[in-house]
Order: sequence, then C-alpha cells, then structure tokens
Amino acid sequence: MSSRTVYFIVAVAIFILVLIAIAAYYFRRSQNSSQKNWDRLLKRLTAVDRSSIAEVALDIIDESGQRRKDEASAVLEPSEISKLVGGLEGLEAMEANCAVLVDLAFYVQQWYPEAIVVAEKLRLSAKEIEWHLGRLRSAQQTGKLEGAFTMYAQPAVATYYLMTRQVIALYEEGNLAMLADLQNAL
Amino acid sequence: MHLTGLDFLFWAVGFGEYTTLLLVLLIRRRFRRFPIFTAFILSNLVRTIALYFVSVYGTKASYFYSFWSFGILDTILQLSVVYEMYSHTFRPLGAWARDVRGAFVWLVAISIAVAAGLSWLAAPHARLWMQVVVIRGNLFSSACMSEFFVGMVVLAVKAGLPWKTHVARISQGLGVYSIIDVLIEAGHSYFGVGRNTQTYATLSHIRIAAYLFCVAYWIIMLWRNAPDSRKLSDHMRGQLIQLQAMVDSDLEMIRGRER
Repeated sequence: MSSRTVYFIVAVAIFILVLIAIAAYYFRRSQNSSQKNWDRLLKRLTAVDRSSIAEVALDIIDESGQRRKDEASAVLEPSEISKLVGGLEGLEAMEANCAVLVDLAFYVQQWYPEAIVVAEKLRLSAKEIEWHLGRLRSAQQTGKLEGAFTMYAQPAVATYYLMTRQVIALYEEGNLAMLADLQNAL
Repeated sequence: MHLTGLDFLFWAVGFGEYTTLLLVLLIRRRFRRFPIFTAFILSNLVRTIALYFVSVYGTKASYFYSFWSFGILDTILQLSVVYEMYSHTFRPLGAWARDVRGAFVWLVAISIAVAAGLSWLAAPHARLWMQVVVIRGNLFSSACMSEFFVGMVVLAVKAGLPWKTHVARISQGLGVYSIIDVLIEAGHSYFGVGRNTQTYATLSHIRIAAYLFCVAYWIIMLWRNAPDSRKLSDHMRGQLIQLQAMVDSDLEMIRGRER
C-alpha cells in the first residue's frame, strides 16, 4: 500500500468522524432548543449584580435612558467600571442573557410563524449586541480591556441595564408568577 | 449489457419509490414549497425509466453516456436542493439573514477546499483516465454535499434559526446519504476499477440501497403533516413587540456611542 493511499484512508476517516461529531453535537443542541418553552427560556437568564450594573449605567445615562450631559456624568474610571461589571465573568453573564433573547426568537419562529417578522428582528438585534459584548470579551482576553472599557463596555452595560429593566417591566405588566425569580436573576 | 437480478430489483424499487414520493409531493401540495426538490425526484424517475430502456435496447456506449449525463444533472439538482433548503432556513423574511452571509462564503470556500484536498489525495486504480475523473468527481461532489448539510445544521444552530419540519427531514435524509456516499466513493477510489468490477459493483449497490432507504424516509416524513403552529396570545404578542422595540432602541444607542 503506497503512502499516498494511507494518507487518503486516514484523511477520509478523519473527515467522516469530524463531520459526524459536528453534526451530532449541533443536532443535539437544536433538539434542546426546540424543546424549550417561553417561561423556561426566561428562567435561563443569568444573575448579575444589579446595583453595580446600575451604577455603571447611570454614570452615563439617566433613568429614562437618555445620555447624561451634566458635569457629574462619565466620571467612572475604566478600572472602576471593570471592577463593578465583574470583569470577564460579568461580561459573560450579560452575553449569556443576550443568548436567551436569541433562543427566545428561535422559539417564536419555530412555533408562531405569524410573529416571524418581530422575532427575526429581535434575533438580529440580540445577535448584534452579543457581537459587541464578544468584542469586549476578546479585548479582556488580550489584556486590552482597560482601554476599551470606556468606549465599549460602559455603553454596553448601560444598554444591558435598560434592556433588563424593560424585561422586568414586561413581566410586571403581565403579572406573571415568576416575576420574583426574574428580578433576582436580572 | 449484462445486468443482474439485483440491478433489476433496484430499478423496480426505485421506480416504485420515486413514483410514490412524487404522488406524495403532489397530493400533499408539498411541491409548492419545494419545487426544486420535486424536480430532483422527477429527474430520478425519468433517469430510472430512461436507463432501463437504454440498458435493454441500447449499446454499452449509449448506456455509459446516458448514465453520466444523468449523473451530471443529478449533481446539479442536488446542489439546487441544498440551495432550496438553505433558502427556507436562512431567509425567514425573504432576504438572506445578514448575520449569516459572511459565514456562507466561508462555508463554501472551506467545503470546496476540503473536498478538493480529498479528491486530490485519492489515487484510484483504473484502466481509463475517464474512470479516474469520474471517481474523483463523485468523491468531490459527495464530500461537498455532506459538508454543506452539516454546515447548514451548524449555521442554523449558531444563528438561532429553526428548521421547519419538512426542510429538516429532507436535509437529514440527503445529509446522511451524502456521508454514506463519501464512504462509498472512497471505497471506489481505494479498490479501483480493474478487470474485475465486482467490488465496484457491490459498493454501487450499497450506495443505491442507502439512497432507496433515504427515499422511503422522505415518503413517510413528507406524507406526515408538520406539527400545527400555535396561536400567539395577545399577551405574548405584546411582550414580543415591546421586547423587539426595546432591543432595537438599545442597539441604536450602542451604535451611536461607538461612532
């Protein structure tokens, strides 16, 4: 048997095994996604330190979400922001919560085709926020987060703060039993 | 041409299955959602009938040219079915989702590169250069197809886009068949086509049997209706619309601050 034939057999074997492993892994993930329901999805939201998030957010925005322009605004130093957010773990928690929104859009698209337009817009927006947070996480991993924090992290945290407050508001309006759990998580 | 009883059995089963699947697509009105897939199955039926008559009444040369002409058409239609399945999954609002467009380019480029690498490594023993081209070409197309279907699963999960029931069933069938086909084509390359074509023929029979199982799976799955979609409650609809508006405005804020 020539060496080329040996390489060919090994390459085909690796190719098939890798394809099957990838397909099985992602197929299982897709099955898990399709078995979720609305309430279970929202329960997946990761707990974050609400008071610290609020402190970072309210340094640059007011309660209505408008950017503050007074002299006392934007005074937090990058190191303080990093500490308050909880560093990489804090960013990962926020990223995970954006992933819940993506799953929620998946759930709606799968079972409620009439709402496909709004679900798809929600999915695209959540994916974009996820991308911004992912960029910050990359900066953290390469040790450049300090510099990136004021430019990207604080606005992202502010966005997250507003988003989670509004999710709680939605649940308050709906008068749902799981509101207490949700407030603890967010 | 010498054809065995098994060859005729495969022809008969294939003819029966393609006809049944076409009837399912027509009766259940699936052809409206899957026109390319329907054309693909129709071409399978036409090929089965045409090759039967060519094998009985034609020459060896005419069978060879008919077989490979239909083979090329089959590959083109399979790629078109891939496009149709991607289109159903990644165009939820009629346009390709913007977050997966870049991934498509990478997927196609990597799939072609890997399939080309495998085909280049293959060194089939054959008497004619044409047979080498055919074996390598088949390996290339089966490798590409299997990568496209696995890529579809990966992209759909990563993007958070669901597969509709029948799209999933068609894709699963063709995906599994493509992976089996890679093994068969690798076997063709390894054993080659010498004076004794028995091994080549046995592998081809395994491939045909796998495809016929796949068609039987489609018949059952496409006859069944997809689970009924649910009615969105007013409360849930309100939540969803508010959530979307909220995320949209948050996103605008992020974009504004990054400029």
